[in-house]
Amino acid sequence: MSTVVSPIREPLIEGGKTYHDITEDIAAPTERTPSVAWVLAFMVAVSGLALYVFCLGWTIWNGIGTWNLNRTIGWGWDITNFVWWIGIGHAGTLISAILLLFRQKWRTGVNRAAEAMTIFAVMCAGQFPLIHMGRIWLAFFIFPYPNTRGPLWVNFNSPLLWDVFAISTYFTVSLLFWYTGLVPDLATLRDRSKGLRRKLYDFFSFGWTGSAKHWQRWESLSLVLAGLATPLVLSVHTIVSFDFATSVIPGWHTTIFPPYFVAGAIFSGFAMVQTLMVLTRKVLNLQEYITLSHIESMNKVILVTGSIVGVAYLTELFIAWYSGYIYEQFAFYNRVFGPYYWAYIGMMSCNVLSPQIFWFKKIRRSIFWTFVMSIFVNIGMWFERFVIIATTLARDYLPSSWSYYSPTWVEIGLFVGTLGLFFTLYLIFVRVAPVIAIAEVKAILKSAGDQFTGAKAQQHEGAQQQAH
Amino acid sequence: MNQFTFESKQKTVLLSFMGLGLLCLLLTFFTDSQPMHMRFWTNLLHNTVFFTGIAFIILFFLAANITAWAGWYTLFKRVWESMASFMIPGLALFLVIIAGMWLGWHELYHWMDADTVANDPVLAGKSSFLNKNWYTFGTLIIVGVWIFFAWKLRQLSLEEDKMGGPQFSQHHRMRIWAAAFLPLAGFSSAALIWQWVMSVDAHWYSTLFAWYSAASWFVAAGAFTILLLIWLKSKGYYSEVTKEHLHDVGKYVFAFSVFWTYLWFSQYMLIWYANNGEETVYFQTRHQQYPVLFYGNLILNFVMPFLILMRNDTKRKNGTLIFASLIVFFGHWIDYFLMIKPGALHTAHELAAAHGAEAAHGAEHAAEAVHHASNFAAGFTIPGLLEIGTMLGFAALFIYVVLNKLTQAPLVPANDPYLGESEHHQVWYEFGEDEEVAHH
Repeated sequence: MSTVVSPIREPLIEGGKTYHDITEDIAAPTERTPSVAWVLAFMVAVSGLALYVFCLGWTIWNGIGTWNLNRTIGWGWDITNFVWWIGIGHAGTLISAILLLFRQKWRTGVNRAAEAMTIFAVMCAGQFPLIHMGRIWLAFFIFPYPNTRGPLWVNFNSPLLWDVFAISTYFTVSLLFWYTGLVPDLATLRDRSKGLRRKLYDFFSFGWTGSAKHWQRWESLSLVLAGLATPLVLSVHTIVSFDFATSVIPGWHTTIFPPYFVAGAIFSGFAMVQTLMVLTRKVLNLQEYITLSHIESMNKVILVTGSIVGVAYLTELFIAWYSGYIYEQFAFYNRVFGPYYWAYIGMMSCNVLSPQIFWFKKIRRSIFWTFVMSIFVNIGMWFERFVIIATTLARDYLPSSWSYYSPTWVEIGLFVGTLGLFFTLYLIFVRVAPVIAIAEVKAILKSAGDQFTGAKAQQHEGAQQQAH
Repeated sequence: MNQFTFESKQKTVLLSFMGLGLLCLLLTFFTDSQPMHMRFWTNLLHNTVFFTGIAFIILFFLAANITAWAGWYTLFKRVWESMASFMIPGLALFLVIIAGMWLGWHELYHWMDADTVANDPVLAGKSSFLNKNWYTFGTLIIVGVWIFFAWKLRQLSLEEDKMGGPQFSQHHRMRIWAAAFLPLAGFSSAALIWQWVMSVDAHWYSTLFAWYSAASWFVAAGAFTILLLIWLKSKGYYSEVTKEHLHDVGKYVFAFSVFWTYLWFSQYMLIWYANNGEETVYFQTRHQQYPVLFYGNLILNFVMPFLILMRNDTKRKNGTLIFASLIVFFGHWIDYFLMIKPGALHTAHELAAAHGAEAAHGAEHAAEAVHHASNFAAGFTIPGLLEIGTMLGFAALFIYVVLNKLTQAPLVPANDPYLGESEHHQVWYEFGEDEEVAHH
């Protein structure tokens, strides 16, 4: 990190904030009575959660026969939703870990919320492998432990088992990362609160006093966790992709899956961050911390990852032809022109074509278009998983077993319900913890505050341009 | 010393190495026991692809840095601009291969043989992509476009030196060109890698291949950057470039060595797991007949850089940086060797078998030729002295072109908006570090 800031960098904190302003602004949402908007949103989210609980109970009570899966299409909305949520859970750790390693200062505006989102998304994702087992009370069978079932062990050769390890590791490290970052900020809240609130924040901030030693250890731990989390960002979706790519099913077995799934996951994760940030900054009045610059940077990441995914789609399509392997060729013909052609169109248009509007700076910096596009990408990435899963399975080697699949109300309810779960958790989070990392924003104030850098900056030593 | 002087002694050394390379190529040509001088042509292809690829990928990386508003590398961006200029001699070298293709001097690719394609439904199916026209015009047009972008970015960079002002108009224009280059390069490089390298094994295919080979280029390019910067510093140039900058290039070499391994593993594991004969043949051949290179590849390109460059301090010391860079540079050269040679040797055996059959020596001869596949083949099983000599010659040519380009502009650019950041770049605060860190 350099102390000199290029004159063309835009400030990342607007409004000429002081350190005290930062504390006040970011702590405020946790200290005031919730707004009407929050209450309404919470009611909707909890209703969604209730729907989830109902559909979950229905599924467990009646069995997954209440879903429309059939012998040919054994994975439908369940695994589509699983992969979709896992993908969304990538942005948080990417922002906190990889952008930390790259010393990207704009991460401080969005990392806290993105990490929280990651954890909630992984929690939603984790539901689906469990419930699609059918007999959820046997879910502990996925853990490899010396058991009384004789030689019956988990299948160590199966990527489905690797998923268990990968996702639980990822969840643990993401949680640690998020919580480590929270500790100093929880202490800030503690110092400002009284009574029971103070006791609770005192407990959760682990006796943080802000001594130099604390900060030093905190910094080291952040770097170590970043180093650990970086390979994890890649490993989780890599292993999810192995669920498909290790098979010999045409359309699933392709070597580009691991990196392409990771790129797609970051893509969808950033889209969900945008959806949340655009709303959060408005509702909590944080536009000076999550600026248009932040939004523009994230839109650029969306453009890049969307285009990488586009390269991968076309590579797959081309190599399917190039391979000369007729089953592969048929699988891709079927993807584009088969009974699920509409899903392919949805995927291509939402993921590859529409993000190209972010080539225009005006659109990258437009709140309206950012929000619309974030929804588009969320939809597109859901379609992508549906295309990969259902379309591929629908036309297998035996034409007599070809099938078509559409979800029942239970499956739709489960999906909508996890959105309820996700937003319930997120809305609680913005009430109890600072939605922006107070300490980290303060750390960049001198190099990225608008009184120090950018067009409005006063002449200040730290903001002076080039040395010669 | 902001102006690089290419001393005549340095030129002499480089020219002698080029001479050595040429001599090795000639020796290979005349001593080649493979049909159609396969050893000679694969050596030419291998080095041309490797060094042109390094020039391309560094342009891609430069464009990515410009687009991402990176500020750390600005001091030495001339090094990358110069490396990218090797694409011009690279294209000239490809023209030799292309000329050989049209004039029937070689059969580098199995799909070039019309008789084979006619009798092989798989190759016939691919023939609308794997053909001489596509190869020729694909290479010419795509590399031509890359050269154009390299030239454009270089021109703007030079213009900025002379006419740059507080508006940074050249930089803003560079951003547009750089951003436009990224998707273009992303799509077009895959097409060329399939043609140049993957189609050596004409039946085989892997969707990951293009990204895998590009990662290989990138690690080699990073290693070359480190070596060149350290050398230039030892000559008294680039005193502003400190261990802070080298640390960051070192991080890239480390990170992309791991990324390369990730791609290697993804490709290998998925093919191994699915056990589909059309795909496994690629690794089967390498695993059985090239075990030294197969495992050596992983040791040189993963184990070594991983262990050496993991620590912070090894990315800040010249000794460890030079050691690791030499290893991975050579390692990725070996990686390309392993991508190209086995497939080409197979093609050579097929040719020998076909020609043998024509000469009415019959099936015995063909069987013998196929049998030879499992035996040692000079210049194929492992790189021989001739291959090493050729590589040194190409490396000398590459360095010559880069250094020559470096003389044409000041080493440190002026008026770049990120220059101040780059001069004060600091990645790590070390307590009690003996030298003073880059604080002025």
